[in-house]
Amino acid sequence: MGNLQSALPAEVSEASSRSFSMRHLLTDQQEVRHKNFKAFVTLNVEPVAEQWDREQRIPDSVISLLAKSGYLGCSLPPHYGGQGWDTVTFGLLNEALGRGSSALTGVLTVQAMVSIPLLKWGTKAQKEKWLPPLAKGEMIGAFALTEPSAGSDIQSLATGFIAEGDHFILNGHKKWISCAQIADVFLVFGKLDQRPTACLVPRDTPGLRVEPIRDMMGFRAAGLAELHFHDVEVPSANLVGKPGFALSHVAPIGLQYGRISTAWSGLGLLRGCFEESIAHAATRKIGNNTVGDIGMIRSLIAKMGTDLEAGSFLCHSACRAEDDHLPEVFEKTLMAKYFTSRAAVRAASDAIQIRGASGCHGSSPVSRYYRDAKIMEIIEGTTQIHEDILGKMFVDRAVRLGQ
Amino acid sequence: MSVNAGEEKGIKETVRRFILSSIDFTYLDDDDNLFESGIVNSLFAVQLMTFIERTFSIEVGTDDLDIENFKSLNATTAFVLKKNGRRNG
Repeated sequence: MGNLQSALPAEVSEASSRSFSMRHLLTDQQEVRHKNFKAFVTLNVEPVAEQWDREQRIPDSVISLLAKSGYLGCSLPPHYGGQGWDTVTFGLLNEALGRGSSALTGVLTVQAMVSIPLLKWGTKAQKEKWLPPLAKGEMIGAFALTEPSAGSDIQSLATGFIAEGDHFILNGHKKWISCAQIADVFLVFGKLDQRPTACLVPRDTPGLRVEPIRDMMGFRAAGLAELHFHDVEVPSANLVGKPGFALSHVAPIGLQYGRISTAWSGLGLLRGCFEESIAHAATRKIGNNTVGDIGMIRSLIAKMGTDLEAGSFLCHSACRAEDDHLPEVFEKTLMAKYFTSRAAVRAASDAIQIRGASGCHGSSPVSRYYRDAKIMEIIEGTTQIHEDILGKMFVDRAVRLGQ
Repeated sequence: MSVNAGEEKGIKETVRRFILSSIDFTYLDDDDNLFESGIVNSLFAVQLMTFIERTFSIEVGTDDLDIENFKSLNATTAFVLKKNGRRNG
């Protein structure tokens, strides 16, 4: 195969995509932080991300580093030990990490999916007890919603709570739970007398068994697991929100942050594909020309660069809506996640095509990008669920305008 | 504290405009049940909550999680007034 590694310095290809990073929309502070996040990833993530993928685990030392950097509680208020960063900055962090390792970004995703609903719906006592360790990364959370027979059709949850004195008895089975292998506490969704209910369940609770899931196609280091609950006793004090509101008010707050995180992570992966592709196109020789001299290759790079620009604006717009607490934030976030996850799959496929055989080998990150990007089309709502919700929304709006 | 009829009407019409912009209906009665009728999508509950929090500068907390507070235009208006201390709950 020969040495097909790009000879273009990384800083050159990174600089080539910098104009796509909506820099004019960012505050000076956001831009400085984004630069710091990217430096963190260059130093601590990119050199070892392939190894994590092969070994299907992220070392504890890296999770500790995320915690020490304040990244795991970046969206929580300083009162609880968080950084109190705005949602745009949270997005930029996910973008930078997404360039390096989608699996690592997954830790950030689920940490927010547990801590943000808790911040909104937790009692004072719950917040004082759980948020500081989550904010400092002393505790990792996981969002236990999906079941073997309840994914997109989430109303059909079979996990059940039974009230018994001052506690609940929990029985059920969760599957495909990201970071469950390393999580210390789970936000578990089930039904109590047919009412959707959410509850915090510590990992060491008797009756809870965590069964690792290995050999995933992508997000291989994200520590997925199945959770088996057998007569698990959970104190009533661990209930988050009220019974009946877990799927209408608790889960959507978590999923909203999950989609923001995934949208930006997909954007970071897309940037990775773009940078790897232009580096290769500019340096790989074919006779007296470079790969980038071929019109069909330019066509692939044009699509990638345009998707990167469009995705940046969609992601930024969603986060601004979140920061401004606008009701359209949910719609904007759906669009951002829908767009970047699909664009990431296209870009990763094209990045492999541009690199040829070397793109199919682990010496280039694009083959991992390809596997990870496909997962992004499935997590936090599949592409088809997004199309169903957004399509209905757009058609209904047109119908109203026509009346 | 007494409730100003104009204030109540203003809140109701503001909420009505938001709801009608979110659902496939052109008309909404003050007591139409939003959730039993099935006219709202799965995101509507949090969208409505976010809208009233931002528009009327209130925060919906766990104690407010009661379908009676959001089931209709009249219910939502009464809830906003109550949270603003304009009507006894």
